[in-house]
Amino acid sequence: MTVPLGAYIVVSAALFFIGCAGVLVRRNAVVILMCVELMLNAANLALVAFSRKYGSIDERGSVFVIFVFVIAAAEVAVGLGIILSAYRNRPVVDVDEIHQMRG
Amino acid sequence: MTFDFVEPVIFALLSIGVIAGGVAVVMLSRITAAALLMAFTFLCMAGMFVLLGAETIALFQVLIYVGAITVLILYGVMFTKFGDRPRALFFQRQTPLAAVFVAAVAIPVAIIGLSFTSATSRPGGGDLVALATSVFTDFAFPFEIASVLLLAAMVGAIVLTKREDPEEAALRRRR
Repeated sequence: MTVPLGAYIVVSAALFFIGCAGVLVRRNAVVILMCVELMLNAANLALVAFSRKYGSIDERGSVFVIFVFVIAAAEVAVGLGIILSAYRNRPVVDVDEIHQMRG
Repeated sequence: MTFDFVEPVIFALLSIGVIAGGVAVVMLSRITAAALLMAFTFLCMAGMFVLLGAETIALFQVLIYVGAITVLILYGVMFTKFGDRPRALFFQRQTPLAAVFVAAVAIPVAIIGLSFTSATSRPGGGDLVALATSVFTDFAFPFEIASVLLLAAMVGAIVLTKREDPEEAALRRRR
């Protein structure tokens, strides 16, 4: 009695849409970044699950997970850099209030 | 006595942790708590990777997500001292639109996801050798590109957050 693949996919989809709703609803830029991380991680779970259950000998799906890790690290570093430099201009992290991205 | 029931039980606990953590990240108006719960969600996700037999990915998950990304996010929280407007968290212009969009995409995905039930699991065992072989043979070039991307992101983050030296700014203005 092992866990079926569908269960992993459902958890992955649920986390992805929780993150999606967070990105669409929350207005704090830092929280939006956190929700994007949740979405990326949900995609990772789906990739690993499909790779383990359907993949042949090699681990191609898991290789993509490593690339997603790299992208996520780069994204959060640059995203926080942008948020902090915008915050230094005007002390606001509400994305509705940040109208212009000019320096 | 068999221990077949252990895996579904652990899976259920981990999925409750993942879903509850995700919901808490979206719902909480206290950002520090949300960031720490995000780390908890990532830890539960690492447990799921172990359950799937991908121990190396779980290790990277703990190192990168729970370690690095959570610390970065906490730094972001520390430097920006403004919470969400707590009252207006879920009653604003884009909330109905967001609900419609998420429902429209989530329901087909859930239906498709539930249809994957018949796949048999591969035998477990370490995934490090297969992973490393893939990375350094078929995916060697994208791997190098990824390292360049990380370098560019690092330089970009430093440039973006660098405090401007007042003397240097004055000098530039005079020019």
